[in-house]
Amino acid sequence: PPPRCFWQSAELAGLRCETLSVPRQITALQLWEEKVRLHPRLAVIRDQVVFAVRQEYVLLGDQVLVLQPGDEVAIIPPISGG
Amino acid sequence: MDESEDVPKDFIKLKSEKLSVDEVSELVISPYCGAVSLFIGTTRNNFEGKKVIHLEYEAYTSMAETEIKKICRDVRQKWPSVKHIAVHHRLGVVPITEASVIIAVSSPHRTESLEAVMYCINTLKASVPIWKKTSQELGEGLS
Repeated sequence: PPPRCFWQSAELAGLRCETLSVPRQITALQLWEEKVRLHPRLAVIRDQVVFAVRQEYVLLGDQVLVLQPGDEVAIIPPISGG
Repeated sequence: MDESEDVPKDFIKLKSEKLSVDEVSELVISPYCGAVSLFIGTTRNNFEGKKVIHLEYEAYTSMAETEIKKICRDVRQKWPSVKHIAVHHRLGVVPITEASVIIAVSSPHRTESLEAVMYCINTLKASVPIWKKTSQELGEGLS
């Protein structure tokens, strides 16, 4: 089964959670580009989001992520807690 | 004096009920500590020039707790004498003037707990995946 994808505060894309089918080894940037391919309106927030994989922050760059089935990937908009 | 009786603890809670300053400060009290420092974040009635009716907080809960645990770990590295740390954050609707976050830190002397509390809230705001949505009156400045 493909890795799960978790989407928080996704008012722009109008969805919360979807499952993506991606190669097991993929960079965060490629994962983002796949997401934008499915939801082009997301492109405008690219500079404002960070990724988290298995609940750890990951830079949206060329570092290769090794994903396992069921891994949670979150696209995190600017935070405002506290 | 056997200080191993009072093992340092982190108390982390995300909850939708009203936060209690008494509860949070009592969590960190220790007979070995002469100082308890507190930060209380409360909701303001204005944001970017508009009147705010209430705030609503949501969190990526599992990761928020992980990140707060990291903050506690960092506090203990920077201020080894810190005894207990409590971080309570409210989720859901928080009415104006009520607390959205309470942080309490105890230490034998005051400097460490004061500095650690400031570090906790600053780092929480920078790294913990929690968001607020403001319910605002549109097109109305402050009266």
